[in-house]
Amino acid sequence: MKSLRNALVWVAGGALLLAMLVDTTAMLGRQLHLPLLGAIEIVQAAVLFGAAGALLLAALEHSHARVHLLLNRLPDHWRNGLAWFHAACSVVLYAGLLGGSAWLAADLWNGHEHSELVHIPYRPLRIAVVLTLLVLLGHAASRFGRRTRS
Amino acid sequence: MSGATVGSLGLIVLLLLLLIGTPIGVALGLVGLVGLTFTLGLEPALIKSAVLMFETMTRYELGTLPLFILMAHLCFAADASRDFFNVAARFLGHRRGGLAYASIAGCAGFGSINGSSLATTATIGLVAVPEMRSRGYSDALATGSVAAGGTLGQMIPPSGALIVYGIISEQSIGSLFKAALVPGITQMLSYMLVIALLVTWRPGIAPSLPRSSWPERMAALRRMLDIGLLVLVVTGGIVIGWVTPSEAAAVGAAGACLICLFRRRLNLTTLHRALADTLKTSGLIYLVIIGALLFAAFISVTGITEAISHGIADLGFGPVGTMLLVALFLLVVGSVLDGLALMLLTTPILLPVVADLGLSPVWFGIFLVRAMEIGFVHPPMGMNLYVIQGVAPDVPLSRVFKGVLPFLMADLVHLVLLVVFPVIAMGLLRWMGP
Repeated sequence: MKSLRNALVWVAGGALLLAMLVDTTAMLGRQLHLPLLGAIEIVQAAVLFGAAGALLLAALEHSHARVHLLLNRLPDHWRNGLAWFHAACSVVLYAGLLGGSAWLAADLWNGHEHSELVHIPYRPLRIAVVLTLLVLLGHAASRFGRRTRS
Repeated sequence: MSGATVGSLGLIVLLLLLLIGTPIGVALGLVGLVGLTFTLGLEPALIKSAVLMFETMTRYELGTLPLFILMAHLCFAADASRDFFNVAARFLGHRRGGLAYASIAGCAGFGSINGSSLATTATIGLVAVPEMRSRGYSDALATGSVAAGGTLGQMIPPSGALIVYGIISEQSIGSLFKAALVPGITQMLSYMLVIALLVTWRPGIAPSLPRSSWPERMAALRRMLDIGLLVLVVTGGIVIGWVTPSEAAAVGAAGACLICLFRRRLNLTTLHRALADTLKTSGLIYLVIIGALLFAAFISVTGITEAISHGIADLGFGPVGTMLLVALFLLVVGSVLDGLALMLLTTPILLPVVADLGLSPVWFGIFLVRAMEIGFVHPPMGMNLYVIQGVAPDVPLSRVFKGVLPFLMADLVHLVLLVVFPVIAMGLLRWMGP
């Protein structure tokens, strides 16, 4: 699990570093009148992989923002019940997003979408989104299952 | 059932979900998705949510947030957080209350490389609170000044809250940063004024310290020269329009990498830790942004905002009266919701109302973030108070609150001034252009 997490950090972090390098180079190029064509499109693709990794890492480490005002004051059995409910809410949301994203990807599969300047194909980007949502759904479902059993 | 009724029900369900601790992004997204299903049908709801998700994840501006967070983590790894406080302490420490002034200046300085209120409070608090307490400053002043000063991290560019607001309200992040500069500076000055009044009234709470020599001051200044230059390039670059916010974030992160390298702090472990922390923070904000956009899409199809707009127009309070009422509403709701939830819940509803009143959405962003900041220092949520108590566990929470109370008063006055004189936020923007 730890090595998987490390790999995720390097892949998604690598995408962020790529976005950083491309945007910095593009900015310097613009100042020197040597524009880097397609920089925005490369950054957009890198941002998607960075965002996918970030969503996964935040879910795996349970670091989602929430309001603790009531939660911290409830007895344990109430909190366990709410954790089950929260997992159920996550399952419904991720299932909806996954359904929509898979539907859209399937619809546009033969559309050969790509970016305008450097022709980055959108198909791998859509696959990345679907896979991310699949993992998020699996993770939420496993938490829901564990809570139901306990 | 009318659209406005469905919208109102959605709002109530969302508030309940947030109060029982459902992750903010999940609560917003779920209410948005289910609400869209009710209003538009299942197929359009699923497709709309998928389109929103893909468009959000490939937004160029979305890169701004993690790169600014990466810059902050790398600067932290380079041990730059202490530098701002050290410089301010060397120059101001000999004055009565000088270390408290230095804490505020340190928070403002650190806020210019980091967009989080909590991170600023924790980082400067770790350095400044023990230093002030060991020099005989009262616990209330030591903890209160840092808890209040930490909120500057949220206002002074680059601000995480303003980036999120810019994305969900589709406003230029560069304009928001420019508009935040004067409110950030005046907020800092108002805190300094509070300290000046406090130490004049009760000199015993902050004893004077020996004056630092000029070589000591210059040494501290030299140490923060690189970070100072980075701040100048990033913030100055955005203000004069030399770089876009996304480019500024990339240049800032690249510059922070170089600073780490020159300070011999950059290795694989440091980089891995900085990337992991960046991704974790960005991940939770991304889910919240996606959820907020889904919720906003639902709210926009219900027509509830029009109903609220008409209701507010019928009150006949005018822009200033209405915004003071909104400020009061935000402060009350801010006592039960945290800042991010408050902003995401209210933006889709209040933004059209603000537009109907003829006010600028950029100004509203600054106003909203300013109201959010107050939520960081007023109980029962007041996260900065808990962070400071974590730094100084032997100081009771009641004492921390007593210390922050004068600053809270200054915050309220500053918020009212921002409403009455919108030029505080909009002046620089009008002068320099968007």
